[in-house]
Amino acid sequence: MRLEKCWFCSSTIYPGHGIQFVRNDAKIFRFCRSKCHKNFKMKRNPRKVKWTKAYRCLHGKDMTQDSTFEFERKRNRPERYDRNVTEQTLKAIPLITKIRHDRQKKHITERQKQGKTKEQERDAKELEQDIQMLPKKDVLSTQKTKVMVKVSQQQTEENLMEE
Amino acid sequence: MAAFLRSKCSSVGRTLMGGLGNNLFGAVNSSVQAVSRPSHCDPICQQIRTFIQMRTNLKVVDNSGAKRVMCIQSLRGKKGARLGDTIIGSVKEAQPRGKVKKGDVVYGVVVRAAMKRGRNDGSEIQFDDNAIVLVNNKGELIGTRVFGPVPHELRKKKHLKILALAEHIV
Repeated sequence: MRLEKCWFCSSTIYPGHGIQFVRNDAKIFRFCRSKCHKNFKMKRNPRKVKWTKAYRCLHGKDMTQDSTFEFERKRNRPERYDRNVTEQTLKAIPLITKIRHDRQKKHITERQKQGKTKEQERDAKELEQDIQMLPKKDVLSTQKTKVMVKVSQQQTEENLMEE
Repeated sequence: MAAFLRSKCSSVGRTLMGGLGNNLFGAVNSSVQAVSRPSHCDPICQQIRTFIQMRTNLKVVDNSGAKRVMCIQSLRGKKGARLGDTIIGSVKEAQPRGKVKKGDVVYGVVVRAAMKRGRNDGSEIQFDDNAIVLVNNKGELIGTRVFGPVPHELRKKKHLKILALAEHIV
């Protein structure tokens, strides 16, 4: 059983799914679903269509280089069946996918971290520039957010200690 | 002429894609990188994707001497022939000093069809154009070469000679 990749969106094509288009120079284009086939027929470039893997990789949305991708490779040599090796592989598959998912999650959070700090900076700047646009009541209230409050608990504790 | 234009366009497309190429793009999408976009003068735009029926013009992709054959009878059924089926055709255009002449009635096997055809595993296959390989009424090839890709379904139809001579099997 061979799992192919969709030419347009790079998703996995399982046997019995999708359509193959063979150009006259014998180049085979495989598509996972009619959506991808239609987009191909409309002569769209997968690198410019936002939902494809090609776009996401190109624009740094997805993790591109990772050691977990090394396992997924096209091999033209048939492997001789070995029970132990197969068992180990089957055991390793969920572990590797878990590692990959975690790394992808980490990649995305790291990617979004930058945006968050930028957003905060932008907000701070906006507040600084346009503070006069707010009604005076609100300005006063915002300025008076921090109020020193005497903590009474500590005193009581000290008192207790003294006593 | 059309073929020349097409090759030109595709080469332009390839250079464009090369310019866009990015190293960031890992091994995941190497397949996308390698291909060039089909050009505007692609036959898929013009080719009607229906059954091969009476009066369908087919390209001959062997060296029998015929260039264009018009279908006059499908040996399949009421609706017409599909990929891998045999048809009877009349030679409309032929090269001089070929094995067949213009006006000959010939048998042929449809090796490429623009209409999609289901495969054994449930997926589908579709080609750029409608193409035929000429055979005699016993199913023996008239030419000695077959050009372009042919589907492996011909094995099921017992056209092993075509598969053996073909450049690419898909």
